[in-house]
Amino acid sequence: MSVNRKLILTVAAILVVAVTMAGLAAWSSASVEGGAMPSGLNSPAPASLSAAPTSVEELGRLLFHDGRLSGDGSTSCATCHDPNNSYADGKPLSDGYSRGNLYFRNTPTLLNASRMPVYDWDGRFAQGDLATVVRDHIAEAHFMNLDGRLLVERMRQVPEYEDGFKQHFGSEVSYGKVLNALVAYLQTLESSSDNPYLAYTVGDTNALSSQARRGMELFEGKAGCVQCHSGDLLSDGRFHNLGVPDNSQIFEDPQRHITFRRFFRMFGVGEYVTMRDDPGLYALTANDADRGKFRTPSLLEVARTAPYMHGGVFDSLREVVEFYNAGGGSSSNKDAALRPLGLTDTEIADLVAFLESLGSPVEAEPEPDLPAYQPRTLGVN
Amino acid sequence: MNANRVMVALFGAWIAFEIVIVVVVFIFVLDEEPPPTVYVRPTPLPIEPTPTPEPRIGPTAAELRSRGLDVLPPVTMPDDNPLTAEKAELGKILFFDRRMSGNGFFSCASCHFPNAGWGDGNALSLGYPGTLHWRNSQTIINTAYQSKLFWGGEKTSLEAQAKSAWTGNIAGNLDPIMAEETLRQIPEYVERFNEVFGTGSPTFGDALRAIAAFEATVNSQNVPFDIYLRGNQDAMSDAALRGAGLFIGKARCIEYHGGPLFTDQGYHNTGVPKNPDFETDPLRQITLRYQHRARGVPEEVYRSADRDLGLYYTTKQDVDKGKFRTPPLREVGQTGPYMHNGVFETLEEVVEFYNEGGGDDPNLDPLVRPLGLTADEIGDVVAFLESLTGDAIIIQAPDMPEYAVMGP
Repeated sequence: MSVNRKLILTVAAILVVAVTMAGLAAWSSASVEGGAMPSGLNSPAPASLSAAPTSVEELGRLLFHDGRLSGDGSTSCATCHDPNNSYADGKPLSDGYSRGNLYFRNTPTLLNASRMPVYDWDGRFAQGDLATVVRDHIAEAHFMNLDGRLLVERMRQVPEYEDGFKQHFGSEVSYGKVLNALVAYLQTLESSSDNPYLAYTVGDTNALSSQARRGMELFEGKAGCVQCHSGDLLSDGRFHNLGVPDNSQIFEDPQRHITFRRFFRMFGVGEYVTMRDDPGLYALTANDADRGKFRTPSLLEVARTAPYMHGGVFDSLREVVEFYNAGGGSSSNKDAALRPLGLTDTEIADLVAFLESLGSPVEAEPEPDLPAYQPRTLGVN
Repeated sequence: MNANRVMVALFGAWIAFEIVIVVVVFIFVLDEEPPPTVYVRPTPLPIEPTPTPEPRIGPTAAELRSRGLDVLPPVTMPDDNPLTAEKAELGKILFFDRRMSGNGFFSCASCHFPNAGWGDGNALSLGYPGTLHWRNSQTIINTAYQSKLFWGGEKTSLEAQAKSAWTGNIAGNLDPIMAEETLRQIPEYVERFNEVFGTGSPTFGDALRAIAAFEATVNSQNVPFDIYLRGNQDAMSDAALRGAGLFIGKARCIEYHGGPLFTDQGYHNTGVPKNPDFETDPLRQITLRYQHRARGVPEEVYRSADRDLGLYYTTKQDVDKGKFRTPPLREVGQTGPYMHNGVFETLEEVVEFYNEGGGDDPNLDPLVRPLGLTADEIGDVVAFLESLTGDAIIIQAPDMPEYAVMGP
């Protein structure tokens, strides 16, 4: 018998003994702890099933962070809606998809977004249709640029996802289920009860400083903010033209301008070539009265979501307040409610203090470990 | 007595005269080359035994032509896309422009690069970033001659092929409107499109025409086989000539690889084995299933998909499962690996595969059967295939024109 053959037999013998012992150990510990396991998991589950996300929301959270939901794998939802950046990107204008498809509007936060009456700066998605918003972002050439059929096949190549969809939706992965899992996660993204303003509204009078309280009075009174920033979300869900200056990058950076032109061309805006402003709601209605109107954003997390406005042209809340104090910007279509407010420097500071109370405490969120692609048995699809 | 002496003397003199005449004739007449009309050289006596006529090494140019193998004619273009130098130059820039892809980082040349015979040199093509392709990247050389493009023959013009490649999710993943708007923010393109097509601004359709025009200029150069056919007997090696004889004879390659392009442009199932990458590579598996979904096969075909079904995706006929377009053999020496899934590294492997009667497939083409070629004959066929290969066509990537925002 050759040395090699002896070695192989010895290794094989050791392996057989080791595997048997490990099996015995696992069986005995399962018997001991079996009673403590949640019902339904008493019988040992396949390894992949036990690693599946534990809820629809958790499944959605993993998908939210997964770049494989974009055409070239580079761009996840979290790329622009970073949980550690208040579910936005902190940039005046969004970077859009991968390289070369720079977007022409500011990334809004996703906190409370699912509760808004309409979605996106121009309100092109109606409430209750959050899945369509997600679909738009996955499919759009300037956001994630991924074909839906390819998305499904990618999901099917990740056992934890396959199992997750089976567990939480009762059947195998589909495009619709991917959208719904993401919607379930988006619906968890809400302001915390530790948001000082929200705490104050439920009776914690110490949650706001006296300066912030003075600012709140201005917000509801002299400054008139509440005319549009009303309701639970501090938004009327309507559209207004404030004369906010456009971000000049849309017209100076060719890559942003390309995305801008394509977008309005797709919306059937005839003058998209000559346009030198972001027409906002007009792109949907073709009604001249809607030119330059944008959706009133929620202010619940405004302290955390600079820069501001649809083009991200204001870096700070003070700039925003000063803009309104001056009566807004210049536009032939400007909302009649906007007029100079006559706030003093102190009043501006008070109002800013109030706005700065609108923000939940920042909690760092670790990036999840994403399950990897695994080979499948070829021909068993 | 005296009279006898005289007779003897006269006879002697006559003999002497004869000798003088003969000598004179020898010296003065036979010494010079006589005019051929006057003198016919006698057949010389053989010094060695007569050699038997040398056996012919391979078919003559005329024989090859009579079997349909020939040099390529000039390229013809569709009526709506005449070839001009300016259009081809524009197409060349577009061919190398990475901005003409979904993520701005992937050009035609990413999978069809000149240094790899205008394929990509991989068994299976790279595909768009984040994906891996499911088929072998085919050469651009001589594609203007083909009536069908892609391994499944899905497209029938270069323009249509370019559209599929640019917009396909596993290839360019490019949105055509985004492409147009991109071209319109690059002043040099606006100028060139206007010169070539006379339009105010670039269109996606014209970009496809320009790509097709460029590709129509990428054709075989200096092919030994063509040089042989034009009369240079030394252009092909003895092995290649013997291979040519086998190609049109015993090896029967010509049955499907006939004509100047060395393809019947038909579809055949030769039982090409699976590429084992599909067993193990998750990204290839994703693409395989995606293709079945995207091409609209019945559910049970999707559920059991384990290989590329070729022509079936177009016809949905079971008999077409595993049939692929016969690829042209011109330039085959610089376009390995071979077959729709790149499963063979070398031409030897390909010829050996056919020598054994192709692969194992219920739909195997009946004409594919064992050939009984010897090892030397296999080498000869390979030598012939290599003689169908011309110079490498190396071109420099052109400078990319810069973006600038164009006025209204």
